Amino acid sequence: MVTTGSAPDFDERQFEALYHEHFGFLVAVAIHKFRVPESDAETLAHEVFLSYLKDPQHVRDLNKWLLGAICHASRYYWRVHNRQSSDTELQIERIDPSTINILESLPNQIAAREALECLSPRYQEILRLRFFEGLSVPELAARLGVKKKYAAKLLAKCLRRAETLYERKGRRRLRRR
Amino acid sequence: MNDKVVTFERARRRPDPARVQEFAETARRLQRERQESVDVVTRALRETPREEWPRLATRPELRNSGALNRLEAEVSSRLEKEPREALLLSDLAASIAETLPPDSYPPVTLAQLRAHAWKDRAQALAYIGRYAEALEALDRAEGQLAFGSLAHDRAIVRYVRALTLQKVNRFEESRELLGECAQVFRDFGDDNRYLFCGIAAGIQLYRERAFREAYDTFVPLIEVARDLGDHLSEARIQNNLGYCAVELGEFSMANIHLSQAMARFVDAGMRMEAIRTERASGRLFLGKGATADGLQRLREARRSFLMHGMVEEAGLCGLDIVEVLVEQAPKAARSLAMEIATEFSNAGFNDRALDALAYLRESIEQHRASATIVRHVQSYIAALSTNPALEFVAL
Repeated sequence: MVTTGSAPDFDERQFEALYHEHFGFLVAVAIHKFRVPESDAETLAHEVFLSYLKDPQHVRDLNKWLLGAICHASRYYWRVHNRQSSDTELQIERIDPSTINILESLPNQIAAREALECLSPRYQEILRLRFFEGLSVPELAARLGVKKKYAAKLLAKCLRRAETLYERKGRRRLRRR
Repeated sequence: MNDKVVTFERARRRPDPARVQEFAETARRLQRERQESVDVVTRALRETPREEWPRLATRPELRNSGALNRLEAEVSSRLEKEPREALLLSDLAASIAETLPPDSYPPVTLAQLRAHAWKDRAQALAYIGRYAEALEALDRAEGQLAFGSLAHDRAIVRYVRALTLQKVNRFEESRELLGECAQVFRDFGDDNRYLFCGIAAGIQLYRERAFREAYDTFVPLIEVARDLGDHLSEARIQNNLGYCAVELGEFSMANIHLSQAMARFVDAGMRMEAIRTERASGRLFLGKGATADGLQRLREARRSFLMHGMVEEAGLCGLDIVEVLVEQAPKAARSLAMEIATEFSNAGFNDRALDALAYLRESIEQHRASATIVRHVQSYIAALSTNPALEFVAL
């Protein structure tokens, strides 16, 4: 097994084993979690492997590192492709790479999506710009035509509102059970 | 929604053999270059006069990833003590990285090599206060990282940017970046850098006098440092928590944190740092009016300095105590000043230090001594270590 722990010196077969062992999973995450087209997903996974080689001695948990890398690479992919689609909300929740079993987090994701849908269009737009397009607060301020401080306040307000709705959804769900 | 679940079957996918081969070849090559470059770089730097280091950029044996990695380590080790040497080395690395042929490595690898070289240059520039140039170098570094897979490298560069922004008082931007970087490092399981982001954010809050927020930022980091077995970071976090608690007037909590800090410094093999922490915390307590706690810590620190033969630091610490006693208990102050003079004399210290202490003793005897006079004598003695010929001027 070459999957866990740090990766000091490999022989050639181990390099290949590492690639074969993780490649399928990384591509599957990019395709099914982030809806990256298949051929692009394979390229992303390949680039993730190559970028891992820069400093493998300092990677403490290879699985986590690779998963974090493919998740960030997939988000970056969509930022670059500037996708404007109706399923923005699918991407907006932050993926926790330590949660490999997505089924566990699914109820939360659904609640988050429902909460988002209840927000006003402006609030939805602000959260989309910040978390989907990845704008920084100064960039967000420029886009909204407001001061940085106000943009930060606005963002906090949107998050609080989404959080309230999220919790309310959760309580309703529990009551229904 | 079930299509979001990545099943085992779906994960069974065969990679393109050409890509596997490229990965294996690159891995093998980087590993070989890393192993070969350690001695090569060390020897080249040792045998070449510093002013000629830029010319090393043309040496074929240094034009590879291994040499660049080694230079990165050399820069890092010199930043604190020899920042100008660090800058020369980072210039050399940037020069090598920028002139590597485009097809010498896969584009992702080449981007990483270049970005890290520019990031190192930025760090070296920031260490010598050339912040505007450092920020420009960071722009260059980030400009290289136009690959989705390089989020971790981008976070490393942005972490350096956040620290540089703190130096130019752009705190809000720095805080924003530190938060983003911390999240990326956490996603990658890079707990070391996650920890450094948290410490940097906490220190910034402390400097902005947001002591409660700083305290709350530091608290969860203790667990991270413990999990990493990083005693030194844990010691620094406990020390910072102690300082925050003092500022918040929570002295018993401060005592706990500072004691923990000293214990962790000892665990990390930094006994002297532990004693200095004790002295600094004693001064801090005094500054906040907690005289009993402050004096106790200073006496303990002085005792430890003497035990380790650090007569000068013990003397300076003793003068911290004299400063408190001089108006409340002049006899005790005079007696301690004499004790310090004897220690200095026995250790063969500069006569000028003894003259300054004699002046202090006389001032106490003549009831004209004050905290200001003690501080004046103390700073003079401290200055003698770097300027032994400095003349003492009485107040």
